[in-house]
Amino acid sequence: MRGVMLMSGGIDSPVALYLMLRQGHEMIAVHMDNRPFTDESPMGKVTDHIQLLRERFQQKIPLYVLPHGPTQITLMRSTDRHVGCVLCRRFMWRSAERIAEREGAQVLVTGEALGQVASQTLSNMRSATSAVGLPIVRPLIGYDKHEIEELARSIGTYGISIRPGLCCQAVPDRPATRSSLVQIQAEETALDVNQIVDDVIRHAQVL
Amino acid sequence: MSYSTVRLCSGGGGYEAIPEPKLKLDLVAIRGRLEAEKIPVIDARVMLIVALEREVTISRDGRVLIKSRDPAEARRLFDDLQRRLHLGSG
Repeated sequence: MRGVMLMSGGIDSPVALYLMLRQGHEMIAVHMDNRPFTDESPMGKVTDHIQLLRERFQQKIPLYVLPHGPTQITLMRSTDRHVGCVLCRRFMWRSAERIAEREGAQVLVTGEALGQVASQTLSNMRSATSAVGLPIVRPLIGYDKHEIEELARSIGTYGISIRPGLCCQAVPDRPATRSSLVQIQAEETALDVNQIVDDVIRHAQVL
Repeated sequence: MSYSTVRLCSGGGGYEAIPEPKLKLDLVAIRGRLEAEKIPVIDARVMLIVALEREVTISRDGRVLIKSRDPAEARRLFDDLQRRLHLGSG
């Protein structure tokens, strides 16, 4: 199977990627570059994670870096901040799906586990993923944080993930933990969704 | 009202100054003042991203985040910004 993996630089996504590679799947990585709402550290962490896993599995693992900061600015200017994390995730999924189309991948993969952060409630996941049609695989969905950290330590990605870095500055003070798809879709009527994703893909870099 | 500390942010990638109590800044006016000094600003409506020596984020509630891992540099940049914008002076 060929999959597109969303990589954040955090603890979870390299572990999810490791599990997919271990099963023999062919993987393509996508990093949404969130500058200026973070610094350069997530990019550095992702490239180091990918390098480590490339060496371990002797697989090429193309890494697409897509600009996400301009999308965040558009969302902040034009939509309700309360649901910003869900809207942000929808654009990440859409961008990943475009890369999947380009690369002939059949699934999207993420390091999400339930309940770790505000955007990872069941209703928010549903609202976020309804933006795309490809199946989504979550290898870590049943793991707790401690188990994920243990795995990260054992495969060598933990030390990279915990290097200092800025948290996302675009996260609102009180992000919605329950979002309705109707509201999310209403927010998106203020946006030219296809144009935004086209711009993101046009500026993709492959490392 | 005062900014009493400039402290390491939770991810350890920068320093933040937090006013107590929260402010309600006029970001449009602040943007105008910065641009009048030829300082590049990205206006994200609920926050400004300002290109000083290091990038600085100013939130509407008065929080200021300085993208530097050097506490002395962060303090100096914040003091400079506070002087320019009269942040927290009523």
